[in-house]
Amino acid sequence: MTGAQLFELLRQFLLGGVGTLCFGMLFGIPRPCYLACAATGAVGWLTYELAVMLGVGAVTANLLAVIPLTLLARLFAIGLKAPVTVFLLCGIFPLVPGAGIYYTAYYFIQNDNVQMAASAADTVKIAAALAIGISLVLGLPLPQQKKRP
Amino acid sequence: MSDIQLYPDGEQRRRIMDFIMAAGQTLLENGAEVFRVEQTMQIMARSLHLREFHVYVLTNGIFASAGTAEISEVRNVPDRTIHLGRVAAVNELSRELAEGRVGLAEAELQLAAARRIPFPGAAAQILSGTVGSAAFALMFGGGLAEAAAAALAGCTVSVYLWACRRLPALFLKLTGAGLITLVCILACGVLAASVNHAAIGALMILTPGVAFTMSIRDFVKGDYLSGTIRLIDAVLVAACLACGAGLVLRVHTLLTGVTVV
Repeated sequence: MTGAQLFELLRQFLLGGVGTLCFGMLFGIPRPCYLACAATGAVGWLTYELAVMLGVGAVTANLLAVIPLTLLARLFAIGLKAPVTVFLLCGIFPLVPGAGIYYTAYYFIQNDNVQMAASAADTVKIAAALAIGISLVLGLPLPQQKKRP
Repeated sequence: MSDIQLYPDGEQRRRIMDFIMAAGQTLLENGAEVFRVEQTMQIMARSLHLREFHVYVLTNGIFASAGTAEISEVRNVPDRTIHLGRVAAVNELSRELAEGRVGLAEAELQLAAARRIPFPGAAAQILSGTVGSAAFALMFGGGLAEAAAAALAGCTVSVYLWACRRLPALFLKLTGAGLITLVCILACGVLAASVNHAAIGALMILTPGVAFTMSIRDFVKGDYLSGTIRLIDAVLVAACLACGAGLVLRVHTLLTGVTVV
């Protein structure tokens, strides 16, 4: 891996963190969660960029990225005693194909059926990858879950 | 300190029920997933010794009964926003109740306080909209010129969303997407940047990413009805964005004869 690639990854890591934090603020997350939320998003986006850089397809890259992201969200949720949603919803924002649905609808109204089908298929595949990743990690049992009194 | 009774009488049970329904409604209104709302309400009912508590939650409604159906309540939750701070606060409250650290009266006060946690101020919203748009334009392959155009569009649309926050959501999305596209076309004309990259960065503010994520999570948990409702929500919002953006692009093409890429 060259220096330029490393620099690019670092840039994307920071951008992912900033982008996630901005949306976290829009969603009104509690102040103590700001840094953890940014870290969740940054790690997810870094993994995605790294996977794409290594030549992995977009769908697989999403699956690979969402696993560390969800793990981190769970760890932060336990550590900061906040619901997983706070970190997961914001952290996954760069990956979630919000833009994909938009492009699908956009090509639909532009009457470009070939492009529409392509982006619709991508959106569905990425959504499935994210769903698999999330349910894999959220399904892991907690090692020392305390019983509620 | 605790005023939690082991066998609450009729009056007390109704008060507990009201409290639990209000907590569930707060969670649902502020963007908690269906599964969490059900779970939190059940934990609260167990902590407050409300027996035979059953609850069914949809994306836009809560149905619950307690006792042998002597109390039953339905709440309609038509308006939903995203305020994760409130979700976290109610979550914390349910944890404190389960550990027996607060009584019912104290919990009611805390819930009222959680419901009143304010949204971020106008300045914070506009700032995060601006910076977020620029960051996403860069992340999705744009250069500095695209980022600048996206920041301008993000700033404009954040101001617009804040100024017109009373208008219907779908109308706001449609006009907001049009506004973003217009600003991006103008700014990119000056900066010689790619409209597509700039516009998608700023459009991230409006894209239904949250609805889509929640839909996925509801499906994964087996709440198919709620997942479908959220999915339709996401698709409708995306269609509105596409119409808004498409309209502006089409008018631009008609007026100037130049197709924007």
